[in-house]
Amino acid sequence: MKSQIQVFILLIFLFSHGFLIAQPKLSVDFGVGFYEPTLTGFDQNENVQFPTKTVFNRNVMINWGIYYEFFNNARIGYNSFTSFEIGKNVLLINSEAAFTRSIKYRMFPIETYFRWKPKIELNFTLAPIWGRGRIELDTTPGDKEEDWDYVITSFGGDATQITDMGATDAMLNDWLGYSSILGLRYYLSSRMAIDIKGGFMNNFYNEENWRVQRQKVNGPIMKIDDLPIFSLKFVYGLR
Amino acid sequence: MRYLKVVVFSFCLIFSQNVDQKPISPCKDPLITLAEEEGIKAIPLRDIRRFKKLLEDCERQGEKKRMERLVYNDWQRDYEKAKKMQSWSSTHAMCVFVSFAYFFAGQALATDPGK
Repeated sequence: MKSQIQVFILLIFLFSHGFLIAQPKLSVDFGVGFYEPTLTGFDQNENVQFPTKTVFNRNVMINWGIYYEFFNNARIGYNSFTSFEIGKNVLLINSEAAFTRSIKYRMFPIETYFRWKPKIELNFTLAPIWGRGRIELDTTPGDKEEDWDYVITSFGGDATQITDMGATDAMLNDWLGYSSILGLRYYLSSRMAIDIKGGFMNNFYNEENWRVQRQKVNGPIMKIDDLPIFSLKFVYGLR
Repeated sequence: MRYLKVVVFSFCLIFSQNVDQKPISPCKDPLITLAEEEGIKAIPLRDIRRFKKLLEDCERQGEKKRMERLVYNDWQRDYEKAKKMQSWSSTHAMCVFVSFAYFFAGQALATDPGK
């Protein structure tokens, strides 16, 4: 589903080429976001030693977005904040697993704005959020090796050729939320701008709604509601 | 046959351009006219580099003030268009501002009922 959304956004971008020549009102932006969640399920986990928390895997997010001006002084678009955490050699019962965690806040903002000065714009954003958490572990399950040995020997190979196997599975959680953000944009030229935003987001996250291979499981406790959020972005107007 | 194809291809490549076209002044280029009439953002992205070069060439030909006015008018056009909110957009902005103020006032002033 996630890859389908990304393909859809990419297609919109590619097929908008016809509009690019005909003066569309499109803009894209890239930047970083800052927030401060409390990920108790990772930081205070006594059984599994997850990677140590740092500013980069807790407070910094990658931010990108695409906007279309659909009305005078109003834009609609897609804006994504992603927090990543990567670790290896996470000690489990049977393996030292590679671990990846991402929390993605996918916003569908409606942004209104006005120009305070010729180069300065104030903007106001309301956005519903479709959040997704993803925890991925690369483990080494025992019975998998036997199955692969069976297949390889059927081809005439030797059962001792494989000594180690890996399997990657992910647990996912989706939730809804909303966000309200004020921003200030400084235009460097008529197409380029620096955008600073600040506001809050509220996520209705439930740690009991995680799923692995369509089976419902419990996930980490995370406090991601009532969070102040800030972003710094570079904007390029395609229109 | 292969040589014939190569010759035809080379012929098309070499003689495909209209060499008889007279060079026009950079200040009279259609891109400059388009930018003056509809704004710099009306210029397609693929022509941006050519437009910047035209601006420089035109300035060198003594039309510096005209080019400065072109850029100034572009800023003014955007500013005039966006300096006032229209229709429902001001209501939307007010909703955002109120929710923003309510949230941060709550963060600053609210007390924990447990304490």
